[in-house]
Amino acid sequence: MSFKVAVIGDVDTTTGFALAGASYVHVHTKKEETLAKLSELLATEGIGLVLITHSIAEELGAEFRRAIRTKKLLPVVLRIPDKTGYMPAVDELYDLIKRTVGAEIVVRAEGG
Amino acid sequence: MAAAVAVVTPTRMELLKLKQRVSLAQRGHDLLREKMDALVIEFFEILRRIGEARTSALKQLSQAYRALSICSAIMGTIETRQASKEARRELEVEVSTHHVMGIVVPTLEVEKVERSVLDRGYSLYTTSSVLDDASREFEKALGLLVKLAELEESARAIARELEKTKRRVNALEYILIPRLRAALKFIAMRLDEMERENFSRLKRIKAMLEAGA
Repeated sequence: MSFKVAVIGDVDTTTGFALAGASYVHVHTKKEETLAKLSELLATEGIGLVLITHSIAEELGAEFRRAIRTKKLLPVVLRIPDKTGYMPAVDELYDLIKRTVGAEIVVRAEGG
Repeated sequence: MAAAVAVVTPTRMELLKLKQRVSLAQRGHDLLREKMDALVIEFFEILRRIGEARTSALKQLSQAYRALSICSAIMGTIETRQASKEARRELEVEVSTHHVMGIVVPTLEVEKVERSVLDRGYSLYTTSSVLDDASREFEKALGLLVKLAELEESARAIARELEKTKRRVNALEYILIPRLRAALKFIAMRLDEMERENFSRLKRIKAMLEAGA
């Protein structure tokens, strides 16, 4: 099955990925709008991957986390850094490991 | 635990039943524990691969942003945006699912993420070659990001399953099995006590009979 790619980001991010062939782009301006767009994208059939920049994901906060927790298997949501290279200080995966494996978090350090 | 003990009736039948339940719970616990160990191995394998994929994807992505900035500078921001709107935006990602330890994990694959200049769809006459560079860099980045997304999603799915399994193992290990064992012990003690009572009762009856005779 073939699926399309969607991008939520600032102007530069969306421009770049549109050039690369992403079918749906949304330029983030207001939180409410982006949230509505996000849930629309998550509910649309035929979208396989949603890229969202870290800074926007952080701005959306709890609503964003709830949206990805309750979504179906598809689309896959991936957070990417934007032009400034912004990444949150606490890695979400790191958090995940801490929660699931408990004390064995050190292994992550050599994995990168 | 006292409540659990209170409801069992101290009979031999119950003792046998409980023994069976304990061995069943123990077996279930061992199986789940093995599953958990296997999941942890799988999880760390995927984390290692995420580490690699992430490094290369992020490097490529920052390169792409750089190329785009250069493009905006040379061609102009508005023109660049205009070209991105003209571009053919029909990238297709092949999605299938596969199973890791019985967990459904999506597999994303993208064919031909890098297109030729003519396939991109924007006008070549009005655009500069730096736009082609930027597009190519972004296509490359997108290809890597698709793989990264697949891995991160797998890690998340496995982590969810791992959490669930862990909770079950703990429930068996710390609640169900100790509770059953306590009930078992209670019945065994009770039966022993009854036997001793009976013994002394018989002794007493014998003594009475002997005294009467």
